[in-house]
Amino acid sequence: MCISLFFVHARVLAFFTEVPMEINKGSHGPASTNALLQWNQWQLLDSILPTGGFAHSCGLEAAFQAHMISGLLLPFVYSSNMSPNLETWHKLDRMLDATLTNEVARKASIAQGSALMRVSATVFSEVPSLKMMRSNSLGSGTVAFHHAPIFGLVCGLLGLDAGISQRAYMFITMRDVISAATRLNLIGPLGAAKLQHDIAIAAEDMSKKWMNRTFEEACQTAPLLDTVQGCHAYLFSRLFCS
Amino acid sequence: METGFVAVEKIGGRSTVTRCFSKYPLKFIIPRKVGSSITDAVWIYSLTYGGGIVSGDSISCGFTIGDGCTTVLTTQASTKARIGSNALLAVIPDPVTCFSTARYSQKQVFRVFSDSCLVIVDWITSGRHATGEKWDFELYKSSNHIYLDDQPLFLDTVLLEQGSVSSIAERMKDYQVIAMLVLLGPALKHIQNQVQEDVKRMMSEQLRVPSTATGRHRSSDHHLIKPTFIASCSPFGPKGIGVVVRIAATTTESVYSFLRHQLAGMEPLLGVPPYC
Repeated sequence: MCISLFFVHARVLAFFTEVPMEINKGSHGPASTNALLQWNQWQLLDSILPTGGFAHSCGLEAAFQAHMISGLLLPFVYSSNMSPNLETWHKLDRMLDATLTNEVARKASIAQGSALMRVSATVFSEVPSLKMMRSNSLGSGTVAFHHAPIFGLVCGLLGLDAGISQRAYMFITMRDVISAATRLNLIGPLGAAKLQHDIAIAAEDMSKKWMNRTFEEACQTAPLLDTVQGCHAYLFSRLFCS
Repeated sequence: METGFVAVEKIGGRSTVTRCFSKYPLKFIIPRKVGSSITDAVWIYSLTYGGGIVSGDSISCGFTIGDGCTTVLTTQASTKARIGSNALLAVIPDPVTCFSTARYSQKQVFRVFSDSCLVIVDWITSGRHATGEKWDFELYKSSNHIYLDDQPLFLDTVLLEQGSVSSIAERMKDYQVIAMLVLLGPALKHIQNQVQEDVKRMMSEQLRVPSTATGRHRSSDHHLIKPTFIASCSPFGPKGIGVVVRIAATTTESVYSFLRHQLAGMEPLLGVPPYC
């Protein structure tokens, strides 16, 4: 666990090298706000954030997963990030519920999204609207709490731009897939870290291709993976809840 | 301007075509009698001149299926369908086959009520196997959108595009056919249940995974033999009124066989069992 955390941090740091890092001692100007933003970014991406991410094995084929996530879910992260408000979030949640036709993926998305919303509402107290949005939506009973729109929403409210939010989403998905492979003993921790590094190029290509599209453009680009993922429930040994 | 339009209404207690229009490259053939006379179903055969569509062709059709009517549409070219209360539409085409370098895109939108029934088969093969074409086309895109009381119920778009990082063939591994079967509506509950049971049984037998407690497995040592036919089933919609089955197979015949078997229960509703 310690080794994987170290590599996660290394990866996260590589992601944000473009963001200027100035810590201005003794005053609370824009520079220190920027620094605080980075702390939030890192925490959001850290595998230690208790959103149950490790519990979803997501098919175990990292490259396939990159394909599927980018076409299907990045548009929802983008649309949510661009309008981080209650009405847009609810609409995107409804659309994604109809788009995630695979029950396994749908349930996993709801479990992870619910956890992320619960954690974010508590942790990021500088954004009080999160708590309000959450309780409002729990009361309505019509919101499923899907992961991708909530991820975009939280990033948006924290001040993370669309580009970073979408890449971050890809990053955490790939990370979870690889972690699951380690849990199932398919690769060791060092092999996992190497794979995570090597897969970044493919993930970046996918992100670039599918970034900045609205949810109407969401599509399924890996039907084989979708079919196999749907078989998950039939597998005899199940370590994970999805 | 639409290429074709058909309206089916209940006249004298029977599903009847009250309006039918088509123009090049589309033609509708509506035989007067398909199956037994006690079955109330209209069969519409949608044909294209020459048996295929060529570059520049564009087909758009509208269908209105009245309350209580049953209609079968065998085509891959329909675009919009509004299915009435207690009505049934079955869209059961042969698979699309895209030739090398082809670009193909289709969109089907269905608007239904809570007691409407809908059967959709949407499938594609990898190409003309005889000439060695396997997933050699440029682009294939198929959208099926279902709206229930104007709310999105099922929004699916499959996009297969040759990519710079990986070709479609690489993403498909050895599978030559992918298919989707949608069964929606309370009247199809028995068929939905049967399909879910059958798929679960078929896949449980195929996907027995040995315990991994003994240590690491390299992918080459993996005990999972790649199945020639994979299917998975998911319910969707409020109270699971719909079921979607996704299939990946190495042969077209195995999918025909699966569809034939699973849709055999539709014979009383359609007059003739599909895919026979």
